[in-house]
Amino acid sequence: MTDASAAARATAARVKACEDRGLHAFYEWSEEAMLAQVAHAHGDGPLAGQGVAIKANIADAHHATSCGSRILEGWRSPFEATAVRRLRQAGAFIAGKTVCDEFAMGSSTEHSAFGPARNPFDRERVPGGSSGGSAVAVAAGAVDFALGSETGGSVRQPAAFCGVVGIKPTYGRVSRYGLVAFGSSLDQIGMFGRDVRSAALLLSAVSGRDERDATTLDRVPLPEPGPAPTSLKGTVIGRPREYFPDGLHPGVRAACDRALARLRDLGAEVRDVSLPHTRYAIPTYYIIAPAEASSNLARYDGVRYGARQDAPDVRALFRQTRGHGFGAEVRRRILLGTYVLSAGYYDAYYRSAQRARARIAKDFADVFASGVHALFTPTTPTPAFRFGENTADPLAMYLADIFTATANLALIPALSLPIGRDGGLPIGGQLLGPHEGEQTMIRVAQALEAATEATAEVR
Amino acid sequence: MSVTRADVLKIAQLAELHVDEAAAAELERQLTRILDYVEQLNELPKDGPVEIPRPDVILRRDEPDADPLAAPPAAWAPAMKGGLFVVPRLGELGGGDES
Amino acid sequence: MSGAVWETVIGLEVHVQLLTRTKMFCACSTTYGDPPNTNVCPVCLGLPGALPVPNAEAVRLAVRAAFALGCTVNERSVFARKNYFYPDLPKGYQISQYDEPLATGGSLEIVSPERGVLTVGITRLHLEEDAGKSFHDRFPGLTAVDLNRSGVPLIEIVSEPDLRSPAEARAYLTALKQVLRWLGVSDCNMEEGSLRVDANLSVRRPGAPLGTRTEVKNMNSFSGVERALTFERGRQIALVEGGGAVEQRTMTFDAAKGEVRPMRSKEESHDYRYFPEPDLPPLVLRPAWLANEQLSLPELPAARRLRFEQQYGLSTVEASVVAATAAVADHYEALVVLLGDGAGKEAWNWEANDVLTHSEDGEAIPPRLTPARIAEVVALVRGNTVSRQAAKKILAEMVAGDEGASAIAQRLGLVQVQDAGAIEQWVREVIEASPAEVARYRGGETKLLGFFTGQVMKRSKGKADPKAVNVALTSALKGLRA
Repeated sequence: MTDASAAARATAARVKACEDRGLHAFYEWSEEAMLAQVAHAHGDGPLAGQGVAIKANIADAHHATSCGSRILEGWRSPFEATAVRRLRQAGAFIAGKTVCDEFAMGSSTEHSAFGPARNPFDRERVPGGSSGGSAVAVAAGAVDFALGSETGGSVRQPAAFCGVVGIKPTYGRVSRYGLVAFGSSLDQIGMFGRDVRSAALLLSAVSGRDERDATTLDRVPLPEPGPAPTSLKGTVIGRPREYFPDGLHPGVRAACDRALARLRDLGAEVRDVSLPHTRYAIPTYYIIAPAEASSNLARYDGVRYGARQDAPDVRALFRQTRGHGFGAEVRRRILLGTYVLSAGYYDAYYRSAQRARARIAKDFADVFASGVHALFTPTTPTPAFRFGENTADPLAMYLADIFTATANLALIPALSLPIGRDGGLPIGGQLLGPHEGEQTMIRVAQALEAATEATAEVR
Repeated sequence: MSVTRADVLKIAQLAELHVDEAAAAELERQLTRILDYVEQLNELPKDGPVEIPRPDVILRRDEPDADPLAAPPAAWAPAMKGGLFVVPRLGELGGGDES
Repeated sequence: MSGAVWETVIGLEVHVQLLTRTKMFCACSTTYGDPPNTNVCPVCLGLPGALPVPNAEAVRLAVRAAFALGCTVNERSVFARKNYFYPDLPKGYQISQYDEPLATGGSLEIVSPERGVLTVGITRLHLEEDAGKSFHDRFPGLTAVDLNRSGVPLIEIVSEPDLRSPAEARAYLTALKQVLRWLGVSDCNMEEGSLRVDANLSVRRPGAPLGTRTEVKNMNSFSGVERALTFERGRQIALVEGGGAVEQRTMTFDAAKGEVRPMRSKEESHDYRYFPEPDLPPLVLRPAWLANEQLSLPELPAARRLRFEQQYGLSTVEASVVAATAAVADHYEALVVLLGDGAGKEAWNWEANDVLTHSEDGEAIPPRLTPARIAEVVALVRGNTVSRQAAKKILAEMVAGDEGASAIAQRLGLVQVQDAGAIEQWVREVIEASPAEVARYRGGETKLLGFFTGQVMKRSKGKADPKAVNVALTSALKGLRA
């Protein structure tokens, strides 16, 4: 299989070039691992010969699944994620594991226990998170395809910061079996690509019902993307006013205004709509996600796998192992989550948040039912921020998710694509589709992409 | 909603998470801030559905088809003896082999 | 005894392991006794990234159990996480059901030694997964964990606090075990751990509000439950009579000492932080499927027992014996049918006194003792070909082999002599040989008939048909009376 090993070596060279730039996109990679995989790879398939970088919280057989945490440092999973199996069936191999915020909790990779990744457009700025490493790997040309994971925007936000395409599928579209859980009712594996087509191809390769994940939709895999439409006549694009507040960053606003103009040029009708519960998204998210996380991370107790601290009795073992193995952000969210689920507070917080979530989801359902095919919004409130800018106040970091968390809460698909530059930094535009509406969303994205100069300054 | 030092320590116990004095102080502040922020959810009416409509669960046939482990526990467990996972003995609970 | 002025209130939480091939949320085998940590997979090990998928057969068995216990089965129920840390709980939470369980509001009829037939309420029945097994004394200073059992399907059955004595608690467990085994839902074997009991007990003056209760755990047999609760009742009564107050504690039963004492540390009140399991959408059961499961339940023990009483003329106690298990009841009923109308009691006699004595555990019927073969033996007895005593020997032979009843009778020389001539000959010989007794008989001591019968049986080496002997003797002796 000389073709396959040539592909592996070529990918290894690209990864090395990326890492030589000091971008630290990868937590673990090696040419040996790539060669070992291609020796057994399928010769054909839509991703034949492609090296796909995957986030450190997705289980594969050839690398550690550390999730950016000391508590799982070096953890070699004895089983592979379904998404990884499907990648292999499509002919791909895993190029390496990428840097992420610890247990996917963060928006910058600053909470990675093994050091952050760096934005290729400005090394003093964050690549976004939590899937920052995967975004960088694509943006810096190490690979053409990468998987990340989303809970509140962790694929779309880094995609926007790094000038690449990121997709969050409908909840249940892609199996979570083998994705280390953070917020189970929100988590989805997401895709990065240099363009919409690549990301959509990756989505189709890994999508479809999985018997090992009871939350997957009972659907066959999505078809591969078709050609980009040249006209959007008849398509109604909603512009939700809550995503365009008065104080919006001027560069972001300029990029979005330009993109909306392009959509009109393509023949789409742009309609003003309202999603009235948008402002409750972050408080809702920051109750539900930590609550589920506090439970999902209880298994890291040092008993069966992972790091373990010596201790005189088992309770001390738990406390020391977890106290030392988890970083500050993870500890904070576990405590927050434990608190909101605890006796006396469940109704006031968790149940309240569930009710708010249902209202947020209904806002979207009502808008899509009224004849809107897709929504357009900014992906992030600002371009990539600097290291250290948001770490002093956790809440400041949480507000980075303000435009992305709604899609995770509402279970709907969302996509970010580069729509321009501001002072050299990429700006992302976001499309939101109805539940199971990936194909509509992708078609609109393709059309917009073709009509947009993603690298042009917007003001 | 103010989170006290006692709250932090109690929650840390429930979560089996060691928190030292310095961290406890900081957490008191940060958790209070976050909880104050999420309080705004109480502006919303206390009625309405608590769940988003989802498809029902699809059940699995009762047939042995476990996802095989590439390596048995002995290859990756922190401590095993006689094929059993071992930890330092429980100080307080249990008395004799449990069922 | 101060028992007379105190009322004991007992409720039982029973965990029963379902008879499925695989675990509740993964496809690992449930086989008991395999080497430790070999029936494990990412799911039941709680590995990072693993997810639960519910077992359809576990749901079906749980539904059948719920219907058999007269419960309302909810079309929609929800799995929930019960969060706590323990070395044998791999995920740090157990997937169970909380606010919206599978079934509620049933009942079970029991026979209380003190109060007779009684209906015990069942509050709820829900599905959950088992934890692994911890061993605290296997290695010094260590707790050792086997996760083979982690994830095995359980149903938890919670009774109303309707039981009033340790003996009633035992009767409840016996009745529950009977129903669940009857349905093939569980083995209910406490010794193997497929049935576990936690008991809640409190005492009060009759008419007073409920007292503080304690929870008693770690009982390993039905008799253990009775002993433990007897001890705990006594302890609580002594305590309150002495002016003390019962503390709400979790207690453990020490079978060797026959004592119940508090578990070593004061139990921290657990905050389980229940919330709906996000990895599992709601369990929704179609009404048509539910109706089918309910209709296809076999006739349950209590109903069958009652029918046996009415249809076959048995007493309650007799009916209980042959309706103890579905297998015995089927066997008995098939035999009745073969033996013909009105043979209820006769068949009972054979079933209880002959067939079941050959059972190794008092329940399992030896496979070769089919109703047809027993009917063969009954026919021989009915026709006086063999005596009732001899029939027992024939049955014993049948357990081990396939030989026909007649053939066995012949081979063992058990065929009764019914030849009138031979019998009359023996009768004459006995009368001639016992003149004194004959005189006494003629004098009025008619009891001596037994003596003469015995003598004839001796001469015939036990082979004479006793009924024919009786007839011949009576007639011969009558002829002699002056």
